[in-house]
Amino acid sequence: MPELGRAALVLALGLTLYAAVAGGYAAFARRRRLATSAANALLAAFGATAVASAVLLAALVRRDFTFAYVADHTSRELPLGYAISAFWGGQEGSLLLWLLVLTGYSAAAVARGRRAGRDVVAWVVPVLGGVGVFFALLVVAVASPFATRAPVADGAGMTPSLQNPYMLAHPPLLYLGYVGLTIPWAFAMGALLSRRTDERWLVATRRWTLAAWTFLGVGQLLGAHWAYEEVGWGGYFAWDPVENAALMPWLAATAFLHSVMIQEKRGMLKVWNVLLVIGAFLLSLFGTFLTRSGIVSSIHAFTQSSIGAWFLAFIVLVTAFSLVLVFRRLPLLRSRTRLESLVSREASFLYNNLLLVALCLTILWGVLFPLVSEAVRGEAVTVGPPYYEFFLRSFGLPLLLLMGIGPLIAWRRASLRSVGRTFLWPFAVALVAGGALLAAGAGSSIPGLVAYTFSAFVLASIGLEFVRGARARRALGARSWPAALAALLTANRRRYGGYVVHVAVVMLAIGIAGSSAYQTIAERKLEPGEAMRAGSYTLAYRALDVRDGANAVERRAVLDVRRDGEALGTLRPGKNEYRAEEARSNEVAIRSDLLTGEDLFVVADQIERDGAVYFKVFVKPLVNLIWLAGAVFVLGSLIAFWPDARAERRLAARYEPQGAPARA
Amino acid sequence: MARRRSPARLVVALSIAALLAVFLLYTSLAGGATPSLQPGELEGRDGRVLLAGRVVGKVGRDGRTIRFRLRDVNGSASVRVVYTGSVPDLFRPGRDVAVGGELRSGVFVGEPGTLVTKCPSKYEAKPDSA
Repeated sequence: MPELGRAALVLALGLTLYAAVAGGYAAFARRRRLATSAANALLAAFGATAVASAVLLAALVRRDFTFAYVADHTSRELPLGYAISAFWGGQEGSLLLWLLVLTGYSAAAVARGRRAGRDVVAWVVPVLGGVGVFFALLVVAVASPFATRAPVADGAGMTPSLQNPYMLAHPPLLYLGYVGLTIPWAFAMGALLSRRTDERWLVATRRWTLAAWTFLGVGQLLGAHWAYEEVGWGGYFAWDPVENAALMPWLAATAFLHSVMIQEKRGMLKVWNVLLVIGAFLLSLFGTFLTRSGIVSSIHAFTQSSIGAWFLAFIVLVTAFSLVLVFRRLPLLRSRTRLESLVSREASFLYNNLLLVALCLTILWGVLFPLVSEAVRGEAVTVGPPYYEFFLRSFGLPLLLLMGIGPLIAWRRASLRSVGRTFLWPFAVALVAGGALLAAGAGSSIPGLVAYTFSAFVLASIGLEFVRGARARRALGARSWPAALAALLTANRRRYGGYVVHVAVVMLAIGIAGSSAYQTIAERKLEPGEAMRAGSYTLAYRALDVRDGANAVERRAVLDVRRDGEALGTLRPGKNEYRAEEARSNEVAIRSDLLTGEDLFVVADQIERDGAVYFKVFVKPLVNLIWLAGAVFVLGSLIAFWPDARAERRLAARYEPQGAPARA
Repeated sequence: MARRRSPARLVVALSIAALLAVFLLYTSLAGGATPSLQPGELEGRDGRVLLAGRVVGKVGRDGRTIRFRLRDVNGSASVRVVYTGSVPDLFRPGRDVAVGGELRSGVFVGEPGTLVTKCPSKYEAKPDSA
C-alpha cells in the first residue's frame, strides 16, 4: 500500500508540473486547447492527491505500523477519531493535507472562476500549478508520509494534549483558511499577468477570500477554546508564535475584505489591494513555515530543519515573483478616482486598513524579533505578551470605534453637520453606557471601560442601520417588521452579513475585555475537607477520586461549589496519566453561568500523594461571549457568503461592455 | 485616463510607516523584551532573562518547589534551577523547557508561572526517548 501512496504523489507532482509549465506556455502563446488540458491536469492532480490521502487514512485507521508515520503518531489504544486526526498531527501528514486542500481548491476555483475572464483563468492555472509543484515536491522528496519501516508491536501514541475533540476540527479548519488564501492571490497574479486589471478578479475571488477568512477565524476560535479547556493555564490566547502565525494572515485578509469594497465602488486602492492579497498569502505561507520549521520551539533549531529551508526559499520566490509582477504592471493599476475628503466612507475604510496592517506588522515584528536581535546583537531577545497587548489596545480600540463610524458615514464627502446628525444616537448611547459602567465599578480597568463604551457605540450604530433599513423596506411595502428585516437581509446580503460579523467582533471584544481586565485569580493548597474562596464562590474540597480509564489513569479532585450560600453542584478538576505515551495532562473543570456568561475555571495544578491538591481558580466574567461570538461570526459570514445571483450578475455586467481594456 | 495619484498621500503613508517602524524599534529594544539565553551563556549575566535548555538528571520535588539541572540543548554547560509554581504536564527529564528568572549566586531562580515546555510535541507527537 505505501507504494500506491507514493506513486499517487509522484503522479500529482507530474500533473501540477504540467499545469504550471504547459499552462504557462498556453497562456503566453494563447493556446486555448492546451490551456484547457492544463486546467484538467489540476483537476487530475486533486484526484491523485485524494488517492494518496485515502491510502494514508486507511493506514491510520488500520494502525498499519509498517508506515513509519502511523507508528510514530498513533498506538493501538488510541481511539479511532484521534487516529484519524493523526493525519494532520505530524509534519508529513499535514503537508499532504496542504496539497489535498490546495489541489481541491484549485480545481474548484478554476472551474468556477470563469467570471474573471478566460485570459485571467488561463494564467491562474499555471500559478496554482506552481504552488502545487512546491507542496507535491515536499511530500514526494523531502517529507514523505509513506516512508516504511520494520513493523513494531505498538506505535508511539499521540501527545495527550492532542487527544481532544478540537483536534479533529481545529487544524483542518486552519488549513482550509491558510490554503484558501492562495486562490485570491493566484487570481490577482492571473489578472496582472494577463493585464486584465479591472475589478473582475475581485468579483471572482470575493467569496473565496470570504470563505478562507471565515475558516481561519473559526479555526482560531476553536484553537482558543481548545487551549482554554485543554491546556489549562487559565487563558485562551498566549501570543505564542504559532497562534500569531494564524492571526496575521487573518488580519491581512480582514483588511483586504474591506479595501476591495473601495476598489469596487470607487476604483481606488488597486495597488494596495494587490499588495494586501500578496501579503495575506505570504503570511499564510509564513505561518505554515513557522509551525513546520521548528523555528518556533527554539530559534536555534532554525538551520536544523530541512523543511524550514525549503519553505523559506519558496517564500522568497513568491515574494520576488509577486513584487516584480506588480512593479511591471504599475501603469495598469492607476486609480480611477481619488480620495476627496478625510471624512468619508473611503477614508474610514482607509484608516481601518492602516490600523489592521499596523497591528499585523507589529505582531510580525514581535514574532521575528528574536531572529532580528540574534542577527544584529548576537543574542536572541523575545518580546512577551505585554508587547502584544499594548499594541492590541493601541490599534484594536480605534478599530473598534471605526467599526461604529465606517458603515454610517457617507461616501465621497460627509459634511460635519450630517456626521453630527448621524451619530447623535450612537453617541448618546455610548455616553450613557459609559456612565453606567463607571457607576457599576468598571473603572478599575481603563482599557476595559473604553472597550465597553466603544462596544456600546458600535452596537447602537449597527442597530440604527438595521432600524433605518427596515423602515425603508416598510415604506417600500413590507408588511411587518420581521418581513422588512428579512427583505433587508436578502436584498443586500454582503452589507448586512458584514454588520452581523461586526456584532460578533463586538461580542469578542466584550468577552476579551471582561475575561482579562476583570478576572479574579485565587491559588491555594487544600487538604481534603478544607475550603477556599474565589470571588463570590466558595469551593470545598471533598475527596480525591482515582479511576482506571480506557487509556489513562484519571485522578479527580471533587469540589463542592457554592455562591452566596447557594449550592451550585460539584466540579471535578484533575489530571490524566496516559500509559502508552507516559505523559500527563491537565483536566480542568469549568462551570459556565449561561445567564451572565461568567466562568468558574478550576485547575488541580499539583496533586500530592497524600491527597492534598494545589488549586488554581479563575473567575472570568463574560468569557462565554467569546465562544458565542464564534457562532454569530459564522452566521454573518454565511449571510454575506450566500450566493446572490442578482448582485453577482450586476457586478459582473459592469465589466462586460468595456471588453478588453486598453494595453498600457 | 485617470488622474495621477496625489503624491502627498504617499508621503503621508510612508511617514506614518516610518514613524511606526521607529516606534516599534524603540519599544522592543527598550522595554518589555527579555534576552533568551542557554545555560552556557548565563555566566556573568544579571537581570531578568529567559533561560532555555534541556532538563537533565533527576527532578527534586518539595511541595510547590522543584529543583533540576538545565543543560544547553547542543552543549555541555549546565546550571541548577529552582522553581516554584505551576509545572506544565509535559515537563520531565529530556524535555526542552524555558523559564524566566535570574541567576543568584550560581543558582537560577525561576519566577512562578514562567516555566513552559517548548512544544516538542504540538505537531510532532513523537515522545523523546532520551
